[in-house]
Amino acid sequence: MTRRTYLIKRVLQAVFSLWIIATILFFLFRMGLPDPTSVLITEGLNAEQRAAVRAQFGLEDPLWRQYVLFLTNAVQGEFGTSFSYRAPVSEIVWERLGNTMVLMLAAIVLAYAIGVPLGAWLSWRRGSSTDTVGIFVGLMFRSAPMFWTGMIAILIFGVGLLMFPTSGMRTLPYDADGFLDKIFTLDFLWHAILPVLIVALYYLGSPMLIMRNTMLEVYGEDFIEMARAKGLPERDILYKHAARNALLPVVTQLAVTIGLAAGGQVVVEVVFSWPGLGREILNAVRTSDFPLAQASFLIMAAFVISLNLLVDILYTTLDPRVSFR
Amino acid sequence: MTLPPILRAAMGPLRLMVQDRLAVIGMCVLGVIIAMALFAPLLSPHDPRHINEIEDGSVLVRGSDVWELRESLGPLALNDAAHHAGQSIIVGRSGTVWTRATEGDWARVDVETEADLNAVDLNADGRAIVVGGLGTILLGNDTGWQVIPAPEADLRSVIWLDAVTALIVGANEEIWLLDATAGNIAEIDSPVGRGFPLNAVALDADGTALIVGERGLAIRYDPDTGTAALERIGSSRDLNHIHIAPGGTALVVGERGTLVRRDTADGAWTTDPAPDTRALRAGWIGDDGRAVAAGRNGIIMEWDGAAWQIAPTESERHLRALLVVGDDWLALGSDRFVTRLSPPSREHWFGTDHLGRDLFSQNVHGSQIALLVGFLGATLVVLIGTNVGLIAGYYRGRTETILMRTVDVMYGIPFEPFALILVLLFQPSLTIVILAVSLLTWRTVARLIRSQVLSLRERPFVKAARVAGASDLRIMYLHIFPNVLPLVFLELAIIVGVSIIAEATLSFLGLGPPQSISWGGILHDARLSGAWRTAWWWNLPPGILIMTTVLSVFFISRSLEVVANPRLRARQ
Repeated sequence: MTRRTYLIKRVLQAVFSLWIIATILFFLFRMGLPDPTSVLITEGLNAEQRAAVRAQFGLEDPLWRQYVLFLTNAVQGEFGTSFSYRAPVSEIVWERLGNTMVLMLAAIVLAYAIGVPLGAWLSWRRGSSTDTVGIFVGLMFRSAPMFWTGMIAILIFGVGLLMFPTSGMRTLPYDADGFLDKIFTLDFLWHAILPVLIVALYYLGSPMLIMRNTMLEVYGEDFIEMARAKGLPERDILYKHAARNALLPVVTQLAVTIGLAAGGQVVVEVVFSWPGLGREILNAVRTSDFPLAQASFLIMAAFVISLNLLVDILYTTLDPRVSFR
Repeated sequence: MTLPPILRAAMGPLRLMVQDRLAVIGMCVLGVIIAMALFAPLLSPHDPRHINEIEDGSVLVRGSDVWELRESLGPLALNDAAHHAGQSIIVGRSGTVWTRATEGDWARVDVETEADLNAVDLNADGRAIVVGGLGTILLGNDTGWQVIPAPEADLRSVIWLDAVTALIVGANEEIWLLDATAGNIAEIDSPVGRGFPLNAVALDADGTALIVGERGLAIRYDPDTGTAALERIGSSRDLNHIHIAPGGTALVVGERGTLVRRDTADGAWTTDPAPDTRALRAGWIGDDGRAVAAGRNGIIMEWDGAAWQIAPTESERHLRALLVVGDDWLALGSDRFVTRLSPPSREHWFGTDHLGRDLFSQNVHGSQIALLVGFLGATLVVLIGTNVGLIAGYYRGRTETILMRTVDVMYGIPFEPFALILVLLFQPSLTIVILAVSLLTWRTVARLIRSQVLSLRERPFVKAARVAGASDLRIMYLHIFPNVLPLVFLELAIIVGVSIIAEATLSFLGLGPPQSISWGGILHDARLSGAWRTAWWWNLPPGILIMTTVLSVFFISRSLEVVANPRLRARQ
């Protein structure tokens, strides 16, 4: 199989996955609800809006017509109007997705920036008490539920020491001209430190442990023996020879983690009142704002799938050994 | 020794676990937590859902800026106190009597009754009279206590009229005159005669007695004429207590923050606005204008000369009596009160929550849900994942394509939000939580097992079995499966941890099964109540328990990773 056919196949597969998820979503919402119309009617919409919504969703149509309409609208990026915000769903979802991604990406970058060198260092000190403590702490943060560490962090640094704000992305009230304007401020940074740190601590364990384990494997390879025989300093062997060769599994893990980042960590957003997509889904389903919930989930899934796809494509260029099955 | 292949395959991982020190620690910790879940009802000292009430002989002392909680006088509520010439006496429930001389310690005195003692008074000779439920009347002096026979009645208050006669009032409009020397009782006709409860009596400056009761009832008894007459003090609320200072200044307190005051012996009664509307049980006023009132939920009000102010107190216990000796002010209680948000104590090891429920018992019971979801979820995940992996890897072709494309689709579904939607759409229940966890986690297991099976199916022993005419099912489950079993064990261990965290997450978001107690649910309650910012004992233990459980499972799974990665084994 050539690279081109592999890529085409991979893209088709992603589109297929997305279609299946959209279908599951469509029928899940219609199955879980007693009657979608009753939810729409009880919402405080006026007659015109109600008619518009009805027309938009084609609620009198048979189920298959609704399904086709839902799919065609979704493909065009048209998700209707949110009940609670009275605004186009896509606008809200994109903004929230941005907020989630800022938080998650910052945390993941931080986790890998610290975790990878830390893992390499632990492998160098293997068997020592530093190693044991490092593994223990890494696994501990991996085992502690994030909402709990978040609560404890708020208690200590927010409520106790009054060092950081305990909720939100910015000090209210504020108005920003755009997304970049919103996040490139000290105020934003000040709000982001605690949640980013909590997510980063959670993610820290896996790059650290993977790096440590692959480093240990690399140490057994011949070229390390060779470097030792040449009399290179241990530090050079560690960082120039071994670490470079141990990075691939870490990169794989990074790709998977970034792929799932759009899914976000709902609990962290809830605990820190971070206006992200996960929290929006929770609110939307609770307030029966189904257009918003449906679209949020679909876009989130689309993001996860396309990131996975991107990672796979990148991989074909990064690692020539990948076979196109 | 020959074991069946399945068992032999299962022995390997076990041996690995025993060799790893961290895994052994993990197994011990997990064992403790499993034991905790199994014996939860025996281990927990309280019902985790029961709102705990406590009765206590509480003593609050007026400090410089706050009424401080002193060491309690036993586990029974204190109802009334009296003081005369350096001698103090407190009475309470179930025959509780405490005495002290001037500044000494309180000493418990034995009396021959188990009845609730409601009121006490001391006369000039230092003679005490105590009245209580079941028509209890006790006379006490330095030599001992003497029970006066009386008809059964709920006696509420007592006052010495002179050295030998005392006036007693009761809940069924009883007004009795006791001759302490003869020990006989004379009943006095009430001007109402409709069975109204009378709550308190006090001696006025002119030697008459003023009795107050429910619905604003006030009766004046004149010992000279021996008659009782109605008096108006301008309130229609239930009046609980009356105190009259020697000079005639008087204070009556009652339900819903009722405060009625009289400045001089022949002055008019005025109703003061109260800063709180909780029931007041006791009041005290001095001729110098100082006044204080105490009541339910630890409420204490002090008169600053112009208005009543709420005094800060250290506790929310119900207060029933005041004892003022010079500058030493005591407030006494307490009926059954709910121990809301109490920090860890001997009674509640992990403290209590906002409803006064025992948190230790909740944490112990929480282990049941965590382990149930953990193990059941993991079993289900491994069951689905292993079978999908086995079938896909063994049959290949179209079966494999369909199954593995399904796995690919599953990878596009973000876990947390999907679980949220599932639970919200289908009413939160334990089944849905377990299903949500398992529906999305089997994908990893299926991929791992399939890749293992792909290499195994080309091995000679599989080919040999096929040549020998073994059926597909037989090859899959009897020949290949034992070889992937170590991997299955590894995944099982990892997913137990994943499931426990997932359940805690859903419960924390308030999507756990209602009526059940789980660690995540305790944290949900803490966050919802808003009290978690102060009550550290509420949110610390469940998180530590989740972390410990998942950590021990991780340690066990780490020892099994050698199975999945034989290169690690070679180096050990």
